[in-house]
Amino acid sequence: MEQNRKDLLISPFLIMFIIHSNQVGVGILGFPRYIAAYTGNDAWIVVIITGIIFHVFIWMVYRILSDGSFDIIDLHNKWFGKWIGSVFNIALMMYLLLGTIVILRTFIEVIQAWMFPELATWIPVAMYLVLTYYVLAGGFRTVAGICFFGVLIPMWLVFTATAPIKFSTFSNLLPIMDHSLKEIALGTRQMTLSFVGIDILLLAYPFLKNPKSSRIWAHMGVLLTTLVYTMVMVISLAFYSEGQLQQSIWSTLIAWKVVELPFVERFEYIGITFWCFVVFPNICLTMWGASRVGKKVLHIKQKYFIFILITFVFIACVMVVNRDQVDYLNTLTSIIGTYVYYFYIPFIFLYSTIWRRVTRRI
Amino acid sequence: MKWIKRGASEKPNTLEEMVKDLKQSIDFVAYENKESDQPYRLIYFASLIDPEQLHRDILPVIKECESKSLEGLKGILPIENIEISSKLSLIQERLLEGHVAVQLSRGQKVLLVNISLRKSRDLSAPEIEFSVMGPKEGLVEDLHTNMNLLRRRIPHPRLRMKEITVGTVSKTKVVVAFIEGVASEQNINTVMQRLEDLDFDIISDSSFIGQMLEDNSFSVFPQMIDTERTDRITGHMNFGAFAILTEGSSNALIGPINFGQLLVSFEDYYLGWNIASFFRIVRMIAILASIIATPLYVAVLTYHYELFPSKLLATLISSRSDIPFSPVIEVFFLEVTIDLLREAGARMPTKVGQTLGIVGGIVIGTAAVEASLTSNILLILVALSALASFTTPVYRMTNTIRFLRYPLIVFAQFLGLIGVALFGLFILTHMIRLTSFGNPYLAPLYPPRIKDWSDSFFRLPYVMQKNRFQFFRGNQSTRFKDKKKKSKHSLDFDEQ
Repeated sequence: MEQNRKDLLISPFLIMFIIHSNQVGVGILGFPRYIAAYTGNDAWIVVIITGIIFHVFIWMVYRILSDGSFDIIDLHNKWFGKWIGSVFNIALMMYLLLGTIVILRTFIEVIQAWMFPELATWIPVAMYLVLTYYVLAGGFRTVAGICFFGVLIPMWLVFTATAPIKFSTFSNLLPIMDHSLKEIALGTRQMTLSFVGIDILLLAYPFLKNPKSSRIWAHMGVLLTTLVYTMVMVISLAFYSEGQLQQSIWSTLIAWKVVELPFVERFEYIGITFWCFVVFPNICLTMWGASRVGKKVLHIKQKYFIFILITFVFIACVMVVNRDQVDYLNTLTSIIGTYVYYFYIPFIFLYSTIWRRVTRRI
Repeated sequence: MKWIKRGASEKPNTLEEMVKDLKQSIDFVAYENKESDQPYRLIYFASLIDPEQLHRDILPVIKECESKSLEGLKGILPIENIEISSKLSLIQERLLEGHVAVQLSRGQKVLLVNISLRKSRDLSAPEIEFSVMGPKEGLVEDLHTNMNLLRRRIPHPRLRMKEITVGTVSKTKVVVAFIEGVASEQNINTVMQRLEDLDFDIISDSSFIGQMLEDNSFSVFPQMIDTERTDRITGHMNFGAFAILTEGSSNALIGPINFGQLLVSFEDYYLGWNIASFFRIVRMIAILASIIATPLYVAVLTYHYELFPSKLLATLISSRSDIPFSPVIEVFFLEVTIDLLREAGARMPTKVGQTLGIVGGIVIGTAAVEASLTSNILLILVALSALASFTTPVYRMTNTIRFLRYPLIVFAQFLGLIGVALFGLFILTHMIRLTSFGNPYLAPLYPPRIKDWSDSFFRLPYVMQKNRFQFFRGNQSTRFKDKKKKSKHSLDFDEQ
């Protein structure tokens, strides 16, 4: 089996970059508004709570995968039989494809809103998908490499966060904890969309060298995401007033406007340019995951199946024409993502625990 | 598959036929001496042999030889490596290598003596990879001299040199040199296998071999380093690489390499580590700037001029206000001019080249601005990026950098900054996928090998470079033994 080929495996610590890059996408450019709608100045607490919940999810996922080096596709087939297992697998593929479409289309929406109002959607979509094919044809190591650089290259943008601090009033954050538990729960549900992405672990697990020792790095990935989100959230809350924040769709981008360099006036252009590097790993990873399902369930070679996927994603992205539809797509993904994380992963986790107990007794 | 279409002359069956066939060339000699008491015949290519050696060492011996057999003659000739053969193909091959065939009696059997003439130019300083510090010793076109240069630098029995002949017509001798125990066996096997599989008629230069051995021949990135510096070759061998020396080429090929090594001048190792690191970083920034400077100009001035602060924008607009072209045409015009100058400069004798530089750089540049064909800001950008591109220490990399900006300019014109970023992603993916003899091209950056970073974007002092590079998967021996560190200073500050 291919899993035994050592030269195809990646170092365990790269899982940190894979998870972090799959979590951070376009959401970070505008998520503070949605969370603050529920919890106002306590939104940063919601970010931290969601981060902690996702650490629990990582723990669950590692428990699910703990024996052998199988991915979730094998496990589905093993636990639920071939037919029901395949239904689960196809559903997983659809979910991953939805992820691709949402992130790609939303990012192009950003480009259209900020840089090229007249740009036809199909041009950047086609370019991105051709690039995706080129990455996937290099195997998982190339995908992991794109994740690595997709985190490393835009990393310096973190320092631009210092610019809005000058114009911030941190007393906006006070009083702490004046929102009800229900509001916080609703905020957490809303926040889930920005954190989804650790599901790729279910598929990438067999490609890791010493998969068990990679757990700490997976946690580091989520920790990094939590830190970045918390930073963005705190700055957004301090930089904007509550009413202002509700009116800014892409609040992070707008906050970038205050970055001042001697030769750059509108820094958000540079931010969006570098965001090309942030978005790309997401597309590669989800497409890779979807093509893996195609390979193992439908028994079509990845190199042919990817063409079907690319065509599908292309058509889907082009069909989404306006801001409302993009919004709808995001809401839909948010709902599905919530179900995947709060129902499916705990369910599989319990199922695998019980399965192990039962089979051990027999 | 025949290289030459054979005409009337069929493949010779006997020695006489072969001699008759070869006599069509003017430099072929078949001299027969029947007068003396010892009749003999000499067959050779006059253009290939050393006549002095023939007259001094061979002719007198033949004349005074008492035994009438070739075996007896072989015993008394003061030259090594004498063969006796009657195999026609071997005789022909040896004659073409500069042997002389001696025949004492009629028949097929001949004595083959090697008296080939070696002519090579004197050693000279490397001209392409110039350095201020360090040895000024470059390879020459003679394989033998080159091997001697390497062996003198690494006088160690483990320095292995494997010979292989490539080229069906040119029969070029190629030597793969490496240090056994340091170079990875897998890499050596790969390169030997690829050399054996190589099938081509005439190998004019080592760069032929380089192009045919590369992992990905569609890539614009060099996957081997061409070098004429002996210190670079031995240095790389010490990292675990091998060198390919080719007869008739003053360049050796080094492989496997990684991308970082293309940006390393060997002079970096002769300067202090901190100074060298600084220059290395400057060079990297220069190269990046050289690739993206003009594409950014096109992208920003075509689509995103609001990116500039109003003061800077005013300067830009005033310099561009008279120009009737769009930025992309302006940029193409100047970039092509620079490449023209470069191409012309490379083909011209040095003295004319200087004049050309003045004409090109000053006259054309100034005139283009004065004629409102380009803005002077762009002229500065293009000149700087041209200058920056020549900081690359490896010549082939310079070409790559000069080439890469053109597609980038096209993408910048097409999609502005997003186009530049997308093309950047393409290059990035390409470099992640690229390998040099199976070794990842971007190592030690990706896959990350943090131990190897001691000599990558910067260079740490030699004391801290104890471990050999990991990325060629070679031997993991250390470069020196750990000694108890003695303090170099003893001041009142250090003492108890």
